[in-house]
Amino acid sequence: MSTAATKAGDADRDSLPAAGPAPAGGPDRKAAGAGRTLRPDRLSRQNLAGWLYSTPFLVFFLTFMAFPIVATFAMSFTDFGLRNVTDPFAAQWVGLDNYTALADDEKFVKALFNTGYFVVLGVPLTIGSGLVAAVLLNSGIDRLRTFFRVGFYVPVVTAIVAVAVVWRFVLDPSEGLIAGLGAQLGFGTPDFLASEALAMPSLIAMAVWRNMGTAMVLFLAGLQSIPVEVREAAKLDGAGPFQEFRKITIPLLRPTMLYVAVMTSIGFLNVFEEPFVMTNGGPGDSTLTVSLHMYEEGFDFFHMGSASAMAYVLFTIVLAVTLLQLRLLKDKTR
Amino acid sequence: MSRKALSLTIALAVVPALALTACGSGDGGQVGADAKQTLTVWGMGEEGARLQKVAEEFTKENPNITVKVTPVGWDVVHQKMVSAAAGGKLPDMAQMGSTMMGEFIALDTLEPVDEKVFDKNDFFPATWDGNVQDGTAYGVPWYADARGLYYRTDLAEKAGIDKAPTTWQEHRALAEAYQKNGAKWGTELQPGSTGAWQSWLPFLYSEGGELVDKDGKSALGSAEAVKAFDMWGGYFKDGLAKKNFVVGHDPVKSFGSGEAPTFMSGPWMVQNITDQQPQLEGKWKAAALPAGSKGSVSWVGGSSLVTFKDSEHKAAAEKFTAFLTTPETQAEWYAMAKSLPASKAAWDQPQLKEGGESLMVFKQSLDTAKEVPPLEKWSEIAALIEGALEKIAQGADPAAEAKKLQGSTEGLMAK
Repeated sequence: MSTAATKAGDADRDSLPAAGPAPAGGPDRKAAGAGRTLRPDRLSRQNLAGWLYSTPFLVFFLTFMAFPIVATFAMSFTDFGLRNVTDPFAAQWVGLDNYTALADDEKFVKALFNTGYFVVLGVPLTIGSGLVAAVLLNSGIDRLRTFFRVGFYVPVVTAIVAVAVVWRFVLDPSEGLIAGLGAQLGFGTPDFLASEALAMPSLIAMAVWRNMGTAMVLFLAGLQSIPVEVREAAKLDGAGPFQEFRKITIPLLRPTMLYVAVMTSIGFLNVFEEPFVMTNGGPGDSTLTVSLHMYEEGFDFFHMGSASAMAYVLFTIVLAVTLLQLRLLKDKTR
Repeated sequence: MSRKALSLTIALAVVPALALTACGSGDGGQVGADAKQTLTVWGMGEEGARLQKVAEEFTKENPNITVKVTPVGWDVVHQKMVSAAAGGKLPDMAQMGSTMMGEFIALDTLEPVDEKVFDKNDFFPATWDGNVQDGTAYGVPWYADARGLYYRTDLAEKAGIDKAPTTWQEHRALAEAYQKNGAKWGTELQPGSTGAWQSWLPFLYSEGGELVDKDGKSALGSAEAVKAFDMWGGYFKDGLAKKNFVVGHDPVKSFGSGEAPTFMSGPWMVQNITDQQPQLEGKWKAAALPAGSKGSVSWVGGSSLVTFKDSEHKAAAEKFTAFLTTPETQAEWYAMAKSLPASKAAWDQPQLKEGGESLMVFKQSLDTAKEVPPLEKWSEIAALIEGALEKIAQGADPAAEAKKLQGSTEGLMAK
């Protein structure tokens, strides 16, 4: 790995700005650069060019990222509603009311629970199945590797609406794939999406299927970066395949694992599309997630204040989960 | 740095607001009806696509007015219109779905209708009343969606019933007979989720119930509402209708397969059944909705034509609206789009007079039908009704749910 090189590079870069404003009579090797930065006309022109080049991004960032973030935060302390759409400054400041009201909002509590359920079951399954697929693809079956790699990745790049059509067919109780198989084998199938107990697990299955491809590709890249020499050394020392996996693969995959875990968790905490296209939160709020509830409050009812408050509660949860994962999974040996 | 960011934020917040006030300057820049101009119109879904053709006819008569129709999908129309209102980017005119009227009246974006030009007596009462708030009309009815009852005559005959149910009791008897003769469900009723209120409103209206009472208070806890919830819930309690709703479910399919041989819906289903289940020809009928103790009262949806306050082409918009609501254009529109004319006189035109038996069913319904009043928070109220319906379908006590609903909708009914 080239960690050493990048570390050195970082250190070098860090020292540059500090060395820049050094007096003109400084060390020789910096003379050329230092001389340039010292001439004030050059300095401003260079600055100007820099600002010009970054303006398109900055404008984009400020309008579409920074401003909405600040505005929603402010909005979460107001009663911003439908009428304020045409008269934004008539919104009233309500302090923390939107946040305290969430604690009493039965639907929000249910949505928090459902989101937690989705994450706790979905994330480990996605990581697990992605890892298993990656390990299988990385060892043996050379010929079919591309086929499987594409096969597992197709769900990731397929539009959710198309995915929904397929999964509705799979889960349909009267003419679906599972029901058909069930009929052949002589067992009845439940109405998955219409059952309060089974709707969420069905959506989790769908989300795992959709997201394991991403995890798999990342794990594959991680696996392929493990040097062959290390594996050979382990084999020479008498490690079997299982020991090799436990003692070599897993520890060396740690950075990849951290990345996959963090990204998958963030994605799953924000789960919206699956319940939106498949169940619309039903039956009986059993698949209502925080994002879906937020969408309903914000865009169906235009309770922008309370929707914004939900957004910040969700953001805090995502932040906490991510920090926790960084803490638990970070490689402490480095 | 932080101060800069702050002032920038303020600047960004103020700019759209300024743009809004600039747009709201009102009648200053009105363009006369005779001037050369382009009128921008938003139409919904299929109608939007077809409307352009009718608009070209209009331009033939009024060569100075070019009409530009933008079709907007029904699924995104609500959000698109609200954001357009927020950004001051509304068109001159639009087709507006009946249940959205309340919101846009509240937003103060609609131009009142000139009642010297449009006479309410030319239209079916419910289609007009759905646009009226505090005595002012904000939209001209364009087409109407009354609900009717679709049922399989072949399966009914097999079960020994040879006429359409005229009361809810007869409707139940029909459902029971269907089920005894092999249908999986006696009837199709949407047990929850978005739009479920539409399956319940006919029960409420035919019992003489209302959504809002005369004093503008919620009437969802009234004795009539409890009775309607009870009747509606009875179908689920007795296993006549499926308790669980699946998003994307299509009643036409289960109608065709005989799984659920009757359902309530609007006139567009005539075409859908003919197209999707051609083998059913001659085996089904549309009938007026069954009657409760206060008669057969269908509810009317549909669309109106509205002109936006900020438009500079109000004169042209009025002309185009008048053109679209003449009996001749309305009859032509029916032939083209199969939407029922809101104008009474249009029904005397040949396209409608010879439209067949099922069409007459909807015509009769229109005379007695009732509207959803224009309420600002209708989408919220509808969601609460749907929540209650879902619980009742699962077996909750109708009276208790009605009482809860009365409480939760109390503050939302203000117009």
